[in-house]
Amino acid sequence: MEVFLFYIAGFVSLTATMLVITRMNASHALIYLIISLLAIAVIFYLLGAPFAAALEIVIYAGAIMVLFLFVVMMLNLGRSSVDQEQHWFLPRMWVMPGILTTILLLEMIYLLVAPTSSAGISSSGTAVSPKEVGITLFGPYLITVELASILLLASLVGTYHLGRRYLRARREEIA
Amino acid sequence: MSTAEYLALAPLLTISGGLTIMLLVIAFFRSHRVAHVSALVTLAATVLSILTCTPDSPQVVLDLLVVDGFAGYFMLLFAAMGIITCTLAYRYLEGRSGGLEEFYILVVTATIGAMTMAMAQHYATLLLGLEILSISLYTMIAYPQETHAPLEAATKYLILSGVASTTMLFGIALIFMASGDLYFSSLMADASGPYHTLGQLMLLTGLAFKLSLVPFHMWTPDVYQGAPAPVTGYIATVSKGALFALLLRFALVSDVLSVSAVFVALSTIAIASMIIGNVLALMQQNLKRLLAYSSIAHMGYMMIALLAISALTDTATAVESAMVYLLGYFLMTATAFGVISIQSNAKENGDAELISHYSGLFWRNPLLASVLTVTMLSLAGMPLTVGFIAKFYLFAAGVESNLWALLWALVIGSAISVYYYIKVIFTMTLNEQPDSYAHPETTWSTRSTLYALGLAVLVLGFYPTPVIELIGQLLSGFSD
Repeated sequence: MEVFLFYIAGFVSLTATMLVITRMNASHALIYLIISLLAIAVIFYLLGAPFAAALEIVIYAGAIMVLFLFVVMMLNLGRSSVDQEQHWFLPRMWVMPGILTTILLLEMIYLLVAPTSSAGISSSGTAVSPKEVGITLFGPYLITVELASILLLASLVGTYHLGRRYLRARREEIA
Repeated sequence: MSTAEYLALAPLLTISGGLTIMLLVIAFFRSHRVAHVSALVTLAATVLSILTCTPDSPQVVLDLLVVDGFAGYFMLLFAAMGIITCTLAYRYLEGRSGGLEEFYILVVTATIGAMTMAMAQHYATLLLGLEILSISLYTMIAYPQETHAPLEAATKYLILSGVASTTMLFGIALIFMASGDLYFSSLMADASGPYHTLGQLMLLTGLAFKLSLVPFHMWTPDVYQGAPAPVTGYIATVSKGALFALLLRFALVSDVLSVSAVFVALSTIAIASMIIGNVLALMQQNLKRLLAYSSIAHMGYMMIALLAISALTDTATAVESAMVYLLGYFLMTATAFGVISIQSNAKENGDAELISHYSGLFWRNPLLASVLTVTMLSLAGMPLTVGFIAKFYLFAAGVESNLWALLWALVIGSAISVYYYIKVIFTMTLNEQPDSYAHPETTWSTRSTLYALGLAVLVLGFYPTPVIELIGQLLSGFSD
């Protein structure tokens, strides 16, 4: 049964991703991207990685995508864009995302209530708990954690430098 | 972690510690000179720690990194190149308003990434090192000017290098699917099938993209042209060198070249790079673009050393030739871009990048013109320069392993290349003065760095013994 669920989630993820790259409207594309990420979270859960599934939702679908959506919405200011935005969220726009998320919701409900699949493991493999992930990260993979922090530092410094220049140029433009 | 592991990791710990101190210094005291000096001190301390702490026999650190003479040699080159870049960038950036200090942080983080790649033996460290290097480079390319060229170059590099990383990551995922392991060494262990080969080819495609080998070279001239000259020098040396070191270790440890599809693909790429790189360089009027195409060709030459690994029973010969070639390439490229940086200034109308900017340089600044002449001759592989010694080693490795098609491409490519290198020298002897270009003030530190580099290109050309001995010594503990 879990294998079956895996294929459904995979299908949802592929469909949503195809819709992302064919949309003409950035907001619509982002909604499908969120669905794709949710489907991937379900796949992670089925493969026995509940922690990765939670991170996928919290970080990708939650934080990053909402940030994207806000930026897209804030870039279009003015009267005409308000009219435009009213056309974006017509009821028929919600049909497809609704269907896809409902499939994922049904899968999740099944996984939660079905007694045999309480650990969320597919036909092979073992479930990895958050504690084990933490122990591995700060044990044998300590060096990758430190390197990842240097990676973030480099991107932070870079973003700060480029962003500051942009802001200065904007201030001069306004003044 | 044991004491031996900490000791082996000393270079990485030193440079990271130095980075932390630099951040604190810059946070409390913003001064271009102080940031510059602290970066130099950090990198010099790293060089010292590499020289003193590199273990005699390979030391594995937490299963993810391996520190040996091979890694030590490349780390030494990267840290030294970091010092050269900081020295050149100081004069180049000086006088620009605001926000100069972060540049040195980025040079140090990029060097950390390159050093990690030299030590990596696991895909996780490979990818992290590569991304640290690339992310630092994006900002370094876009760093100084308010003009469009650097931003355009950085955007192109960001997108194309992102695509390359994704391809590589997908390849790694396919390899993991087939072999169930992320260590280089277990690549060929009880795994085969189409996905496995496809994964290897995708991984190597990503690496070839970053090395700018021929079907994947389109980004190189644009990025080289748009980036500020000291940064271009850094990309051409450290970024390429780190990838090549990684590829060399990957080929040695994983035995990937025994897959015939991979061997044929890499040979084709190498031959195409040598021929097409040199042919495209012929008509360039821009020195930076010319050097970009010439670096594509040089990467093609270097692939001979890599491919020789598979054919030789004694892999040390191939590795030695690669190490000698990379040293020569580092010296020549650093000198060439050093001359461009010393003639340019971030304040004024872009870099001195057209070949015509250098007309009459022999009469204006004979010493600088001599340095550039020696470099160009060395890039062409003339005897009595380091370029000749490097090519000689490469040729020897190729002959020993019977890679005749590649050697023919090397000979033809070198013959073509003489034309455009000589053209640069010829332009410098012309009498006319450049109409627009006033070359800016130089400082003694940049001048002396450049003269030292030019002298090294010349001296190692007829007395390479110390370097050859050093490499032999470093490789003695190199097991494979």
